[in-house]
Amino acid sequence: MTNRTSLLLMFLLGAGVATGVTAQQRAAGTAAGTSPPATVADLRRMQPVSGDAQAGAGKAAVCAACHGAQGVAIAPNFPNLAGQSATYLYVQLKAFRDGQRSDPVMTGQAATLGDADMRDLASYYATLAPKPTGHADTASRGAQLYLAGDPAKGIPPCQGCHGPGGLGPQPHWSSAPQPPWATYPRLRGQSSLYVTKELGDFKNGARAGSSNAKVMQGVAATLGDEEVQTLSAYLDAL
Amino acid sequence: MLAQKGNRTTPKALALGLLAGLFGMQCAMAGDTSGTMRVGDMQYGNGLDLRGWTPMLHPADPDGMSWLHPGMLRTPTGVLYPYPPRVDAGKPLGSGDWTYSGLLEFGYLHVGGERNAEYFRQYDDWKSGAVLGLFALDFHNHRTGQYVELRGSRLSGDDQFYRLLAGRYGSYRVEGFYRDMPHTVSTNAYPIWNGVGSTDLTLPAPLVAGASTPAQVAAASAAAPRRSIGLTRTRAGLGYEGVLYRDWIGSASITNEKRSGTRLWGGSMFFNFPFPDNGGVLETVRPIDFRTTDVNLSLRNVGKVWHFLATYNGSFFRNHKDHLNFESPFALYNVAGTPQVADIKDGQFSLEPDNDYHNVRLDLSRELKWNGQFSVSGAWGTMRQNDALLAPTTCTGVGGIFIAPPVDYTFQCANWNTTDALSRKNANARIDTGLIDARVTFHPTPAFGWHAGLRWYREDDKTRYLAYNPLTGQYGYISENGSQGSVVPGETGIFDPNNPLYRSYMVTVRNNPFGYTDTLFELGGDWQFGRKSSLGVTYTFDHNWPKYRERRRVDDQRIKFDWVSRGVFGGATVRLSWEYAKRDGDRYNYDPYVQFFSESLPGFVEPVNGIAAHTVADMRKYDLSDRTESKARAIITYPWGESATLSATFYGNRDQYDALIGRQNTRTTGATLQWDWQPTPATTVNAYLGAESSRLGIANVNDADGPDNGKALGTPGQTDPNLGGPLYPFANQWWELDRESNRNGGFSLSHDFGRVRADLRYDYNGSFGHVGYSYATIGALANRVPAAVAAAATGFPDNKYRTNTLDLGLNFAVNRSVGVRVFGRYQTGAFSDWHYAGFDNTLSYDHRLYTDKGGQLHYSVSLVGVMLNLKL
Repeated sequence: MTNRTSLLLMFLLGAGVATGVTAQQRAAGTAAGTSPPATVADLRRMQPVSGDAQAGAGKAAVCAACHGAQGVAIAPNFPNLAGQSATYLYVQLKAFRDGQRSDPVMTGQAATLGDADMRDLASYYATLAPKPTGHADTASRGAQLYLAGDPAKGIPPCQGCHGPGGLGPQPHWSSAPQPPWATYPRLRGQSSLYVTKELGDFKNGARAGSSNAKVMQGVAATLGDEEVQTLSAYLDAL
Repeated sequence: MLAQKGNRTTPKALALGLLAGLFGMQCAMAGDTSGTMRVGDMQYGNGLDLRGWTPMLHPADPDGMSWLHPGMLRTPTGVLYPYPPRVDAGKPLGSGDWTYSGLLEFGYLHVGGERNAEYFRQYDDWKSGAVLGLFALDFHNHRTGQYVELRGSRLSGDDQFYRLLAGRYGSYRVEGFYRDMPHTVSTNAYPIWNGVGSTDLTLPAPLVAGASTPAQVAAASAAAPRRSIGLTRTRAGLGYEGVLYRDWIGSASITNEKRSGTRLWGGSMFFNFPFPDNGGVLETVRPIDFRTTDVNLSLRNVGKVWHFLATYNGSFFRNHKDHLNFESPFALYNVAGTPQVADIKDGQFSLEPDNDYHNVRLDLSRELKWNGQFSVSGAWGTMRQNDALLAPTTCTGVGGIFIAPPVDYTFQCANWNTTDALSRKNANARIDTGLIDARVTFHPTPAFGWHAGLRWYREDDKTRYLAYNPLTGQYGYISENGSQGSVVPGETGIFDPNNPLYRSYMVTVRNNPFGYTDTLFELGGDWQFGRKSSLGVTYTFDHNWPKYRERRRVDDQRIKFDWVSRGVFGGATVRLSWEYAKRDGDRYNYDPYVQFFSESLPGFVEPVNGIAAHTVADMRKYDLSDRTESKARAIITYPWGESATLSATFYGNRDQYDALIGRQNTRTTGATLQWDWQPTPATTVNAYLGAESSRLGIANVNDADGPDNGKALGTPGQTDPNLGGPLYPFANQWWELDRESNRNGGFSLSHDFGRVRADLRYDYNGSFGHVGYSYATIGALANRVPAAVAAAATGFPDNKYRTNTLDLGLNFAVNRSVGVRVFGRYQTGAFSDWHYAGFDNTLSYDHRLYTDKGGQLHYSVSLVGVMLNLKL
């Protein structure tokens, strides 16, 4: 090896050591909390939550004003909460509180909730009887999209995550790593107005604050207005 | 992105001329053409970046593979996937739906130390100077799924690649590429001839063909300049794959590879070692000037019931330099001691002929009940070459030896140095192949499946050539351009039924059209035990009918067991396999070749003492002998926590051959151990170790060729082919035992500090080889002069080879669009091979002249580079 090359290599090695020290110092600074909080909630490791449903009932008075005394909404622009996945409800309350999801009413309502409050409320609504089954048109375009998707347009079947009957995911056993099934909502019986709005929020990026929302953003991007309408109508009647 | 519905015309500008005419059709939405390798070349990369796109892999995306799953995912067997690169969303191109992204990496390389070290630059054209590390420019249309991707890299004019890829996902793909790849064979060669790289090697003054002394040749060799021997592969291609109509997908590609350069070659003018100051053993240099054009066409259809695939593969090889003539510096003398009448001083090789290959194949498959599938394939191929044949010799004047009337072994070169001396002017060679392959598989339950297959294949060589000279009425060919017959009386290489001197000579007069028919039956099943374990058992029966070989039938039966268990030892996947095979066949005929020798021709007169045995009857060629074989393998993959994997492989093969003479046994044993750790998207650590050893045992026997090891050739009793007979006495037996072992290990670390990413890598490669032998008596030696006997030990010196390579790289991010990469490599190597022993002193030994000194015994070389990265 020539002297010139040796010198270059030594410089390189020296630069590597020096750079490593500087970068480690910077990394330590980051760990100390100087970086901003994450804007996207990573739910991929989310485990099912539990709470005190009875205690939750006591905290639900204000919720009933919109979501109904038994968790069935008083107007179609509000979601039905009765029978919903407790984990899903907890995650949404937490997202409203932490700013990853925004709503003129819910952001304020969730701001004062503690973690136990959110668990209790979620558990309470999960125990309520869901809205009675409707009479959906199984031959409709909405049913077709929900059950089979439309590969030509890149639309995946909704039932893959939300269950064939809209009752939430029903995964088969697999040794492969599993998605956080408990964080996926049941959709059966949600009003078409509400579903249309949420799909729109996913599509335009208004609802993008979690890893699940990232999934739904990709799905909603494949849906045209007509598909959103037919899907929403199908779920409403399901 | 999947294709949008609707018809549209394939952009003819992208279909690139030739293919537009073939495929200027309507593209509908159906099928996926994005993942096949029917068009384009294999890996694009070079020594600077083996992947060909490393700069685009960083930074890693901390979100991992999927929004659905937590953390890093693993393969089904537990191996970690690397973190995916962060997707570059690109920049808008105008106001439409197109976006673009790109990268330009260029800089300067400096090579220090022994930059010509053979093993350092074997497949890389390293040199100091400016280089284009990578140029990448991608265009995507997220609405239509159309894309255009350009890649390029250039180390030098002999080491570069460029690729243009365009298409529409789910619809069509067009690829064009160009690449140059160097292949250095030697950087330490000293050919003495003029005209290296051409078809004619001539001797420089003061050397004179056929009249130079060893001292003169040694001086010329010592004064010859150092040269590199090697070639460059220039490969270019164009391909298209796309939907033709509904579910019909077609592909077409044409690839052209030009190989140009030189290669080390031989040049025999008869033995030297038993005949001091006689003969000629030369290491020459031949030209490489090949062009291979490959054409591939396919049409496939995935219907609701049947799947259909038709393919055509054509390969056309052209050699623009079909011969090599060389001048030999050495004089030849006949061993009879009579005045030398011959003046043989030139040699000639016929190099590879032009040839064409065609293969058409049809595959059909359909689904069956019980989760089953049926598939059948048929193929027909033909390989042909019909080059003009070269004259049997280039000599002039007289060849051979004149002893005394009527013992005249001379021949007139004029009767052999013309194509009129051939039985026909062109090769007219042809080999046809046929294939039928059928297979059924069923999985009637999730826990059980079975399959059966039947495959028939035939290779039929239709070439027939008789070496007959109509000018002389003689058969055979002039051996070694006339040199052999000019040293040893009668060994001219010909048979002449009308000449008492040549009517008993055994020479090859016909080509052997080797071929075979093979039928293979396979039956297998697999069982699932619970959710974590499975067993597979496969039995195969391979029935082979060779043509013109020692056996007419060879049967190979094999059974294989596979066991897979997941979740053992706290989560590990264990895969075990064992197979046992037994090969036998019909009676072994040690000499099936009578029809290809002059003994089969009319007029052949058996020698007084009979025809010496063709070979020892106890010899069993390794591809036909009875054999038992067993193979075992264990692979363990252990997920060590969430971010690490430990994997180990152990394997061994054992072969035992039933042969007194021939290959006796082989054994291979090896193990690998690897640790991969990816604690964060910013950090990757790997370490590996590997070791393998193998042994090969061979038994052989020297024929009795002199009174000191039996009897001289041509004496009575040499028709006996048996081991222990007069021609193959037990005393002449010898045995060879080859041992080889390889070791490798390495460590790599990559960490992204944010503004700086550091890479460190170390690799070690080492191999050891030993050829050992033993023998019953010195009768086993070919050369039994006292010096040779004294030098005979128990083996050749050990061969050793090892390299150590250290790579270090730093990437500085100046801003979001500009980065600097500084990197270095330091490599040391050591090499020891007895084939090249002593060449450091001289390449010339009596009438033996070598050209290549071999790899550097010790070398160290360094590479330093600075590259600027610009994000476009």
